[in-house]
Amino acid sequence: MHVELRDIRKRFGAVVANDGASVTLEPGSVLALLGENGAGKSTLMKVLYGYDRADSGDILLDGRKVSIGSPRDAMGLGIGMVFQQFSLVPALTVRENLLLADPRTPWRLAGRRDALGRLAVLAPDIAPEVPVRRLSVGQMQMVELAKALNLDARVLILDEPTSVLTPEEAKRLWATIRALAGEGRSVVMITHKLEDVTACADRVAVMRAGRVVDQREARAASAEALTRLMMGEERPREPHVNPLAPEAPVRVRLRGIAARAEGGAIRKVDLELRRGEVLGIAGVSGNGQQVLADAVTGLLPLEDGQVEIDGRTAQAAGSPQPARPDTGYIPERPLANAIAPELDLETNLALKRIRDMPFFPPRETKAAARALLKRFDVRPADPALPAAALSGGNLQKLVSARELCADPAFVVACYPTMGLDVAAAAMIYERLFEHAARGASVLWISEDIDDLLRHSHRIAVMYKGRIAGQVETAAASRHQLGMLMAGEGAGEALAHV
Amino acid sequence: MSEASRPRAWVALSQPLVCGGAVLLLCGAFFLAIGREPLSLLWLIAVSAFGDGYALSETLVKTAPILLCALATALPARVGLISVGAEGQLYFGALLGTGFVLMAFELPGYVLLPGMLVTAALAGAAWSAACAGLRAGLGVNETITTLLLNYVAALLVTWVVFGPWKDPLSQGWPATRDFPDAARLPTFFDSRVHLGLWLAIGGALALHVLMRRSRWGLELDVIRSNPRAAQGAGLNFGRHVMITMAIGGALAGIAGIIETSNIQGRLQSNISFGAGFSGFLVAWLARNDFLRIIPLSLLVGALLASGDGLQMLAGVPSSVSLVVQALLFVGVLLVNGWYASRRS
Repeated sequence: MHVELRDIRKRFGAVVANDGASVTLEPGSVLALLGENGAGKSTLMKVLYGYDRADSGDILLDGRKVSIGSPRDAMGLGIGMVFQQFSLVPALTVRENLLLADPRTPWRLAGRRDALGRLAVLAPDIAPEVPVRRLSVGQMQMVELAKALNLDARVLILDEPTSVLTPEEAKRLWATIRALAGEGRSVVMITHKLEDVTACADRVAVMRAGRVVDQREARAASAEALTRLMMGEERPREPHVNPLAPEAPVRVRLRGIAARAEGGAIRKVDLELRRGEVLGIAGVSGNGQQVLADAVTGLLPLEDGQVEIDGRTAQAAGSPQPARPDTGYIPERPLANAIAPELDLETNLALKRIRDMPFFPPRETKAAARALLKRFDVRPADPALPAAALSGGNLQKLVSARELCADPAFVVACYPTMGLDVAAAAMIYERLFEHAARGASVLWISEDIDDLLRHSHRIAVMYKGRIAGQVETAAASRHQLGMLMAGEGAGEALAHV
Repeated sequence: MSEASRPRAWVALSQPLVCGGAVLLLCGAFFLAIGREPLSLLWLIAVSAFGDGYALSETLVKTAPILLCALATALPARVGLISVGAEGQLYFGALLGTGFVLMAFELPGYVLLPGMLVTAALAGAAWSAACAGLRAGLGVNETITTLLLNYVAALLVTWVVFGPWKDPLSQGWPATRDFPDAARLPTFFDSRVHLGLWLAIGGALALHVLMRRSRWGLELDVIRSNPRAAQGAGLNFGRHVMITMAIGGALAGIAGIIETSNIQGRLQSNISFGAGFSGFLVAWLARNDFLRIIPLSLLVGALLASGDGLQMLAGVPSSVSLVVQALLFVGVLLVNGWYASRRS
């Protein structure tokens, strides 16, 4: 099916998400819709899927103008979408999930083979009677894909499909996407990764600030040209990491750390961080990274082991010590994890000091808070404003200001740039690496191998709650990290420890 | 900034007025439905609650336990808990407080009275802390546990007054023997208005200052706003759950024993007129603000006190005042919901 989106405009309150965006999809072809966070890619595709309604603009299917008011309309027209957040029911089996999504099978017994047929072709390794919660993220994505294909989707939209996959899983998905296009479908892959484009796209459309600024054959697009199109003129400065002094002494030791939480368990984690070192932790999410971050910062009690900072015990088994001045913690999604949204910025900056205040705290002058906000470029720098009024990037800067202002020796950053745009992410990285340059040890947990390879001194990979291997970044390869992330490289990795 | 704040200021002014109007309309409709003329009945409610010295004193007598129970609800709400257990804490405070009085019956007032109050406060605190401990330790929903323990406490009181503590001289009436005069709080204005009212008002003011000015208030604000961020700041959720629930329970327990000793004069099965639940509604109406709780407790106390007057003067059942109390909350709920839906 030939699809044309013409001059789509969509605004959410004061934010213009789509500002006259136009793009065409061709049958039998894969279009990579490329752009930074907030460029309007997802919104444009949600308009096509009927999830959001455009303020103005036209949608043409095979030259005929259509109105798509809801996802149900879109499905009726043969348009399917697989979202970043999966809409599977974890407690139900794969088969039940597929039947649930298929309006042609109102009863469980009907259409059994039909519903499963697609999946059997896409991923023969997935057993239909397994509950979805036991699947890996890559497998869940295949189930989602099968759901969309069961509805006879001739136009298939995939929202950032490779962002949650290991490199090996991504490779398999690319092959699947090529095969689907080979059947004559139009496939759109929303992405901000250039490797997705080179791996499987026929055409590429680049979005920036709500518009499609360029469409071209993927073969004719160089990485450099695409980056320039994505970022526009105001390309942020690359965050700089100081080289590690060869004689830098060990400053932080994690010895035999074990802990557990709802997110999983970690065992026997031994790591050493040198003065000024940025140690990256790679791994597919859900392999214990969050537990590690919470445990070494005292939010979660250690079951075993200890954390030593400058030779002194900072965390020991059974007695968690949160909010230590020598430890800074910058988590993902500050609004959920590190900010009291109803309280003002000044209070949020003082959060770690509250315990040590006198019972009737004196009124503080706003000057110190304002200076700190300015130094970390939090906008607006008004200490009396409630934190909920700030954007995600500014909230993360606020948390960085709080966590770094006491000059901690040990900083833990857990997906610190998740959900931020490039400029805000660069700012956070810059503060973090600056802090390392002043002598702190930084434990940096990320899912983005490219970022880790670019900025960290050393990379450790977590797999199923253990450190599967460690490599010096200079000697690391994507392939090697990918193997470790998939739990297939333990023997090989030992050589590098 | 100023454009955004102007409609908010207008809302803040108009909302209470619209609420009041809605409640009056609902009450008017109800009075018409039972065949009475609305304005005169409303006037009678006002007269029965505030008309003379006696009416006013009865209003204040009702206000005291409602105010204490409202504090018992609002304080846990400052850490984000929804406790509906003031009624049960009130009963359990009355139960153990009575136990102390029965044991120390002959002792002089300066031992009996403080001992009774402290026992009742500790009993209420323990009853409440049981739910707090379940919440803090095991994550058990405090709304459910406090609600269910209400019945347990009330039934325990019924059991003792029908069984072990029943006064043998009461000729079958299920109640303990009368409390000695030494167990009564001082009263004022030659009426039944007792020290408990001033205690409750003092408690509300003290809590207001503590919430506004102290580190404790700040800590509770942080926990309520985001428990996970509070944990990162080293604030102990469980400890604050225990403290706020225990203090709240103690206040409700004191309300229970004062109601028993000063108003009823003995323990019997219906010591509360639903003060615990009225207190919950007051706290909710006041949005857990300790200053606003005081006048709203007086309003609800007046409504409940007007019941007897209505029965005598207007010839309608006294339970009409309970219906009016319910309509008050329904009206406010409707108007607030309407404002909230318009905002989004």
